[in-house]
Amino acid sequence: MNGQQNVIRIDSDICTGCGRCKDVCPVGAVEGVQGTPHSIREDVCVLCGQCVQQCSAFASFYEQHPACIAEKKRERGLFVSEAAPLFAAWHTGDAPRVASRLAEGCHSMVQCAPAVRAAIGEEFGMPAGALTPGRLAAALRRLGFDRVYDTNFAADLTIMEEGSELLQRMEGAGPLPMFTSCCPAWVRYAEQQFPDLLEHLSSCKSPQQMAGAVFKSYGAQLDGVDPRQVFSVAVMPCTCKKAEAQRPGMEHDGVRDVDAVLTTGELAAMLRQAHIDFAALPDEPFDRPLGSYSGAGNIFGLTGGVMEAALRTAYELVTGEPVPCTELVYVRGGEGIRHATLTMDGRTFRVAVVAGLQHVRPLLEAVRAGTCDVNFVEVMCCPQGCISGGGQPKVLLPFQRDEVYAARKAALYRHDAELACRKSHENPQVQALYREFLGEPLGHVSHSLLHTVYGQTR
Amino acid sequence: MQSQLSDFVVADASRCIGCRVCEVACAVAHNATGKEHPVAGNLDSPLLPRLYLVRTPLATAPVQCRHCEDAPCAASCPAGAIRRKDGALVVEEARCVGCKTCMLACPFGAVELVPVYAQGRAVMQTVQTEDGGVCTVSPVMVAVKCDMCTGRQAGPACVQACPCGALRMAAVSDLRRRRCAQAAAGLAKYVTALHPEDGRS
Repeated sequence: MNGQQNVIRIDSDICTGCGRCKDVCPVGAVEGVQGTPHSIREDVCVLCGQCVQQCSAFASFYEQHPACIAEKKRERGLFVSEAAPLFAAWHTGDAPRVASRLAEGCHSMVQCAPAVRAAIGEEFGMPAGALTPGRLAAALRRLGFDRVYDTNFAADLTIMEEGSELLQRMEGAGPLPMFTSCCPAWVRYAEQQFPDLLEHLSSCKSPQQMAGAVFKSYGAQLDGVDPRQVFSVAVMPCTCKKAEAQRPGMEHDGVRDVDAVLTTGELAAMLRQAHIDFAALPDEPFDRPLGSYSGAGNIFGLTGGVMEAALRTAYELVTGEPVPCTELVYVRGGEGIRHATLTMDGRTFRVAVVAGLQHVRPLLEAVRAGTCDVNFVEVMCCPQGCISGGGQPKVLLPFQRDEVYAARKAALYRHDAELACRKSHENPQVQALYREFLGEPLGHVSHSLLHTVYGQTR
Repeated sequence: MQSQLSDFVVADASRCIGCRVCEVACAVAHNATGKEHPVAGNLDSPLLPRLYLVRTPLATAPVQCRHCEDAPCAASCPAGAIRRKDGALVVEEARCVGCKTCMLACPFGAVELVPVYAQGRAVMQTVQTEDGGVCTVSPVMVAVKCDMCTGRQAGPACVQACPCGALRMAAVSDLRRRRCAQAAAGLAKYVTALHPEDGRS
């Protein structure tokens, strides 16, 4: 288990054994006989939370004793006052713990993943696809976070590091194809099922972990505080991110990059608990410098987004000229696997985008057999990327799920199109970070803060 | 005289997997706040479905109102709160006094009494207690039951949500005619097989 807690569970008191979680699990981690409570094989589960999104077996008002419900809420790490129904499949919660740490008055820094701003409005009755970056920043400030930063900044940083790593590998410095390492469920899968191919993974930490590492070094330096005093919180659309934050190697000088991870749903619960009316908040900016971002960083929340962001920068690094068209629609995949090619400086780049872990195995088998001629692969565990993550607002009517995901997707692309800066390497604050602190991509400081070794067990 | 029988939603137990999504969809369809894309976190009340998943060793299926032609619930209601509307039997909650007579009368257990919620809180009433007229509060309870999502454009939410096609509208008005036609076809084969010497096909 790599020292990570079992984030995803099934409550045998509530599970009816319908098996829909089994159908949606991309790795076959759910087992059980039809009609009896199911369970999760911890050694196979990648903690993506798709079962949590799918599950519709709930603790019925007509059947359960209220005292028992309160006990279950405490066990799940929920506020007891939350009105949301308890479903059989659930993820562990951290909102009460984060709320009490904030009440203690620590020096807190928070980051928000791109997909959160395209979905959290749904928790407050706003329509699907409501895009709320400004309200999100305001809401986090109202909760008492001292620095309201953004994972999108670190997404831009990831492109700088990962893009440089790819180009270095293209020159012969490492095995190809190179796989992205942003999605912790995918990394977990690779570690469990294809340990012999781990050298194909980018050594980059994910944006969440890069952000945490930068908060507790450069960010702490800017604020004049001891990194050990910084409480670093991430708000994520993903349940596996909770486990990722606890991974071995996700620390620097004994200081954890990220101390707590909240899902989009948990942040909404914290706001309700604090009686903050999200829909009525004004738009406020994220704090600088670590809250500024490009459109490229923002589309990390979608399948194909990391690839598109990487190619916008890689094209310019290779050819010295801006990419002819910023919108690389041919990598905007949906379900399954998509292949594309891009010619740069006379050389053909072959890329693949995998959406849904169940589609990655044939590609990995081809790598194993030496028959894969792709240079760079993006893998996202969840079907539409992070916007459909296990920690996102849970759509109650299953026949609405596709339209809600489409609306969230459109919102992130809209946000990208609206931003003046749309390429990671053009983010002025990222440029300043390299100038003032990191030096250069893949340099010594970058290496120690922003890269890791996958496959570590402790 | 009414010539058409009321339709109702019926479950096929051989298809039902017991996922309860019909209950979720039903409760959401009747959640008064009318959010366009309801998510688990923004409900203003507990899930209060109007059909009930039943699991027995023999069968798993949701049970709901049959919209009886001579409905015992409506006949027994002292407040006249259960009426016909667009072919369905519907509880007018504003008239309901919570006496539970309809619960007793229903042969299917399809009626339930639930608390009324407004702005995320149960609506309370002041009542006299038997120990000396001291006022206390208790939630206002009303009868609810399947109304076949009357007025919902896409029809009953449970039917739309069921992933197994286990729920459908039982079109009963021509049921006898269809069953008789099937029986006649069956009989024709049987009789022909018994008397081939008749030379009729």
